[in-house]
Amino acid sequence: MIIHIEPQADTPIYTQLTKQIIEGIARGYMRPGDSLPSVRALAGDLGVNMHTVNKSYHELEKRGIIRIIPKSGAVIQAPVVVTQDSPHYEHITDELKSAIAEALVLGIQTEQVEELVTSIIQDLHAESKKK
Amino acid sequence: MEMTILFIVSFFLAVIETAIPYLIKRTVVFGVTIPDENTRDQRLLSFKKQYSIIVSCFSLVVLLAFWVWGVQANPVDAQLFLVGIALPFAIMFVSLASYVYFHARTSQLKRGEKWGEDSRQVKISDLSVRSQDEMLPWYMYLFPMLVTLGVIVYTVLQYPSLPDQIPTHWGPNGQPDAFTTKSPASAISTLLILLVMQGMFLMINETTKRSGIKLSATRTTASRIRQLTLRKYTSWFMFITSILITMLFSFLQLSTIHEGMFGEGLMLIVPFVFLLVVLGGTVVFAVKVGRAGEEIGSESVAGLADFDEDQYWKGGLFYFNKNDPSIFVEKRFGVGMTLNFANPKGYLLVLGPIVVILVVSFVI
Repeated sequence: MIIHIEPQADTPIYTQLTKQIIEGIARGYMRPGDSLPSVRALAGDLGVNMHTVNKSYHELEKRGIIRIIPKSGAVIQAPVVVTQDSPHYEHITDELKSAIAEALVLGIQTEQVEELVTSIIQDLHAESKKK
Repeated sequence: MEMTILFIVSFFLAVIETAIPYLIKRTVVFGVTIPDENTRDQRLLSFKKQYSIIVSCFSLVVLLAFWVWGVQANPVDAQLFLVGIALPFAIMFVSLASYVYFHARTSQLKRGEKWGEDSRQVKISDLSVRSQDEMLPWYMYLFPMLVTLGVIVYTVLQYPSLPDQIPTHWGPNGQPDAFTTKSPASAISTLLILLVMQGMFLMINETTKRSGIKLSATRTTASRIRQLTLRKYTSWFMFITSILITMLFSFLQLSTIHEGMFGEGLMLIVPFVFLLVVLGGTVVFAVKVGRAGEEIGSESVAGLADFDEDQYWKGGLFYFNKNDPSIFVEKRFGVGMTLNFANPKGYLLVLGPIVVILVVSFVI
């Protein structure tokens, strides 16, 4: 799986990394049980500071997406059933709320928003359906 | 014979220096990052050609002059050595000066034409690339070390029959020309130095393995092939070199233990063959790695460019990046790896063995 980083973009590198890994897992490029390279290896390959990669990995672990193995890298966690009282559910609610609020403020209609959500999910699942 | 060796070394050097512009990855020209779509610009191609012509013509002239002088004037050994040692330095100096000149011209051209200025700069990594890495495992490098230990044991067993004066240096005619008095330490000093070198090769292999595999966003497949080829051949070349020096040093040690075991002819031929094989190996290495991935055509995506690393490459030759944990990176002007001078571990790796060898040489 290829990771793209834009060092000059406004988004911090560790955020770009986090998003890329999450999307990669969503698209099925990486499965639960697959391993991510060690912090040192990925930092060396990208030519970025180890702290940056470390921050991204810790962020992903906090969100329950990977489990860090000291000195080895990390493992993708299997998804669990998420109930409404889970902190992960709350986190996603917050993220969606920000995006949807901004959409509404810009004048995007409810149906458009729902359509957008559906098409994004379709797009993310497209490649894994082919397998 | 001395002249032949000096000539051959300079000859190999001249060949590689001349070929360098055609062995480096195409997106870095004379130490300057050039976007993939501009790499076939006529002016850049002409720079490369001019450089090769300058270096090859100069080398041809001085090599010829050296040969003629050596044969006609029949100089004294000391004189011959002085000139013979100056020869490769002269070739290196001219190629370095030419590089500096064309580095400036290329930088100027890139700035003037504003190449890559309106593209998004991207870095990429392939999370699965390390599973394709074919570097040798560390324990392969132990085999030559075991051989050395065997020779040490043999030396210890043969200690009583060793001569009182142990050779410490062999001249170009294959005969020893410097000695030291026999002692348990001096009897195996050559083998200790060999052990240090073997250990160094092992460390370099492991350090290279842990250094970054740098992929290009605009030439992903080509850069992957080149990086993996570089790593694999570096690993194998160091392993084979370790074996060859083990054979050479063991041969010399045996000639010390059993005086007169090998005739003068053999003492001459063996180091000479060693030299030819190693130098020939470097040419094979340079060509195999240099041409790796070049068969892949353009993969560039419009508006996308590789992250311009020129800022980390001082003079286009010396890599200095505090943020990169890699100890080794691929050279920009040449074939092989160079140090990340911002990482102190690199200095230790290179200077450590030298210090140990110096200590062994002077204390024993």
